[in-house]
Amino acid sequence: MIPEFDSFNLPILSLIVLTPALVALVLCLVDRNNRALIRQLALMGSFLTLLFSLLMVANFDSNLGTMQLEEQHSWIESLGISYHLGVDGISILLVLLTCFTMPFVFLSTWAAIGDRVKEFHIALLLLQTGMVGAFVSLDLILFYLYYEAMLIPMYLIIGIWGGKERIYAALKFFIFTMVGSLLMFLGILYLYNHAGTFDLPVLMERLRTTHPLGSDQQLWLFLAFTLSFAIKVPLFPLHTWLPDAHVQAPTAGSVVLAGVLLKMGTYGLLRFAIPLFPEAAFDLQSMMAWLAIIGIVFGACMALVQNDIKKLIAYSSVSHLGFVVLACFIPNLEALTGAILQMVNHGLSTGMLFLMIGIIYERRHTRELADYGGICKVVPIFTIFFLLAVLSSIGLPGLNGFVGEFLLLYGVFSSVPLWGCLATTGVLLGALYMLNMVKKFLFGPLVHEENHHIEDLNTRELIYLIPFVVMMVWLGLYPAPFIKMVQPTLTLYVEMLQN
Amino acid sequence: MELTISRAEILALLPAAILFFTGLMQLFLDLGKSSANTRSEKTHLAMIGVTGILLALASLFIQGVEPSSGALYAGAMTDDLFGRMGAGVIIITALFCSLMAGGYLASSGNNRAEFHSLICFSGGAMVLLCQATNLISIFVAIETLSLAVYVLAGYFKNHQASSEGAFKYFVLGAFSSGFLLLGMAFVYGASGGSISLADIAASATHDDTLFAVGTFLMVIGFGFKVGAVPFHSWVPDVYQGAPVLSVGWMAVAVKSASFFALFRFVLFTGGGQILAQILAAIAVVTMLLGNLAALNQLSLKRMLAYSGIAHTGYLLIPLVLAVSGSGAIAGASIPFYLISYAVTTLAAFGVIVAISVATDRDDVQDLNGLARTRPLLALGFTVALLSLAGVPLTSGFIGKLMIFSDAIEGGFLHLALIGIVASLISIYYYLRPVVAMWFKEPSTSFDLIPASWGVQFTVAVCAIATVALGLFPDWLVNLSKLSVHAILG
Repeated sequence: MIPEFDSFNLPILSLIVLTPALVALVLCLVDRNNRALIRQLALMGSFLTLLFSLLMVANFDSNLGTMQLEEQHSWIESLGISYHLGVDGISILLVLLTCFTMPFVFLSTWAAIGDRVKEFHIALLLLQTGMVGAFVSLDLILFYLYYEAMLIPMYLIIGIWGGKERIYAALKFFIFTMVGSLLMFLGILYLYNHAGTFDLPVLMERLRTTHPLGSDQQLWLFLAFTLSFAIKVPLFPLHTWLPDAHVQAPTAGSVVLAGVLLKMGTYGLLRFAIPLFPEAAFDLQSMMAWLAIIGIVFGACMALVQNDIKKLIAYSSVSHLGFVVLACFIPNLEALTGAILQMVNHGLSTGMLFLMIGIIYERRHTRELADYGGICKVVPIFTIFFLLAVLSSIGLPGLNGFVGEFLLLYGVFSSVPLWGCLATTGVLLGALYMLNMVKKFLFGPLVHEENHHIEDLNTRELIYLIPFVVMMVWLGLYPAPFIKMVQPTLTLYVEMLQN
Repeated sequence: MELTISRAEILALLPAAILFFTGLMQLFLDLGKSSANTRSEKTHLAMIGVTGILLALASLFIQGVEPSSGALYAGAMTDDLFGRMGAGVIIITALFCSLMAGGYLASSGNNRAEFHSLICFSGGAMVLLCQATNLISIFVAIETLSLAVYVLAGYFKNHQASSEGAFKYFVLGAFSSGFLLLGMAFVYGASGGSISLADIAASATHDDTLFAVGTFLMVIGFGFKVGAVPFHSWVPDVYQGAPVLSVGWMAVAVKSASFFALFRFVLFTGGGQILAQILAAIAVVTMLLGNLAALNQLSLKRMLAYSGIAHTGYLLIPLVLAVSGSGAIAGASIPFYLISYAVTTLAAFGVIVAISVATDRDDVQDLNGLARTRPLLALGFTVALLSLAGVPLTSGFIGKLMIFSDAIEGGFLHLALIGIVASLISIYYYLRPVVAMWFKEPSTSFDLIPASWGVQFTVAVCAIATVALGLFPDWLVNLSKLSVHAILG
């Protein structure tokens, strides 16, 4: 067992949040031509963060369903804003996912990013601070700060290091996200005016007891929050920014976007929109569920007809996150557990898929399916890894995707069978478009001359892909420790919603 | 009436007096010298200006600041915290403008003492305006500052655009002074012949039509100065034609001083619900029109002109609250927002000064690739633009948070909603220069934009202040609250 360090009273969450930002500050002082040092420093910083996040898990009591490792300090007292962090079953796996992904993302950029290396690493590190900060913030304004703080580095990453249409994609990403978050901001201010606090636990208590909201107020506030999160997810029909952003973003940007950033939306629904306004969430349950189901089927159908591999994976994300949104609105333990596991699973499998597409793109500079075919003979190791990621994404038993998908669909089915049935078609379609893509991409005759001499995975690439595979198999064969961390919180959560 | 002057009265007048004196000194020292004088002599002038301004700044702190002070000069002015905050904003703005003026004027070949001294003269008048507590002193201060600023707007007398802008500004400004004066006359009549704000507040009733009309006319008069729609038409033309530095000075100092005076007046007297509704409508139109018109501006100066109109719109929200009698709610946001707007806008204008010195233009595309050639200037400008857009971690965010939160608390939810929609629109045009600086490659026509020491210092300090106020606004928020509550008593 890892020893308990809690006796030192380390502010673990602050360490996780602020370490990347501090490393970014250090990077500002490094000579821009010293690329090796920049890369190593960023990598070390992200590994240090990963270490801290393991420390967080060691100090996390899986039997409790409450907020843990809380830190609270006054910050802007005059405006009622405090620095309040905490982690529970809903957020811990997402924090872990973020901290796990980032070191390998850094490793993946060593060959891909040659221009403005320093700025790139600073942007990625700040992005990490924003993401983790948003997951652990328990003050609405603090959450909003981190939520917005993610926006600018991601905007720069797409806009500077992206593909041909990068400026259009970056602007679209920024404006879509900002529309939602500003309305949420108005909602936050309204809540403050209503209940007199930005502190989430206090606010929830007051909304339940002393300051209940009228049903109209609930409805509008719920819509303001949900719009913001639905854009982030993205929920059909607000998904149009995602394919553009994914296709134009550099590999690292896509991995972070799909792996972590999209989960901000579903996390926001679970943490804020639904528990703060449960009646409105209940009233609009079927509307949200239908949108999610349309998203599942629509995303899958769009993925079927894509020729660009990245765009295909982007649409598959729309479909996969549709499942998660659907489950968020089903208040039973199985569906919600499945939702959280699926967020992690999607992060792992889609993150890995994007990494691997980045690897092949570096060698061939094309993402068109028509330019490939039959390369399994040229790059056998690549093929094995790619197949693993694809199978995990489809939900093959024994890999991570299965566990989450099964729990999720079981939960949905036991609550509303029709929705369960419709959602299951998404699984079938998922297998269809993924295997179809694999067929065109890896198998078949080797027609293109250029594809005869593609280099297989090198050591550095293996180093950052193997951890993903390990996690996939671990989550697929023995998910119990992860489920155990999640379920006490969700049990309390479901109880609260049912009252 | 006794003619003794107390120590407090002298101290209250000191900052403005030092500024006036500095301006005079510069004029005399430059007498009879040609504009083609050597650079070192002109540096000399700027040094005197900076020293004078620093002295004025120091004089604000000679005496400990009291939240409120008694009436000085028979009720003509006061020396309270609110006034000193206003004076502080103006003097600091003057400091940065003087620091940037040397290099800018030298490059334009129009390096005369007038510019420095006009900044000092108008600055002194603005300080007085922030401290004025009766109708006469308000009017005198506003006329004094206007005269100086008309000249500043037309400072490049050989430039057609500069002269045209100055003329337009002068005609409309004179017109607006008429409104102001007429309003003051009405208020004077309605309050039974009193000119002191305290007396007016005591005797005026909001139901009185004469009083309401008078207040409205005064608001129109100030509305011209701050560029509220529909009195904004001069803003884009003057901003585009006038020298960049004059524009920066107008955008920050004139607007701050006018708002400080207007808020003081409204906090004292209120205005009633009908006036509040009219002002709310003006606020809505100003926010939306300012931001929408800025969308397709390719000139940075014109873009900032419309963005300045939009920010006037946001600032009208606390004014609406104050007029409707909820001044206590809106209190803290007023000085805070003005200070935040000042540092942010100064950082932005610093970069535009550098650009226009280098290229003699100020189009968005002139910024292309600035992040490569001048990363720190680009960073400073980016911080400023993000703060103007109200992105978190900047002072602009805290300012908007306060204003919108107050609006909701005061029962003006629709104003907050429209304000948020308006800031959403604004993001589009604030991002355009960011895109140009960071995403585009530098054009081949120039390699490196020279930036004078003053410009670099201004951009750096103001950008850092913008972020610092975004992270740790607590002290300033408390100070703002204190100052406004002292006025409300």
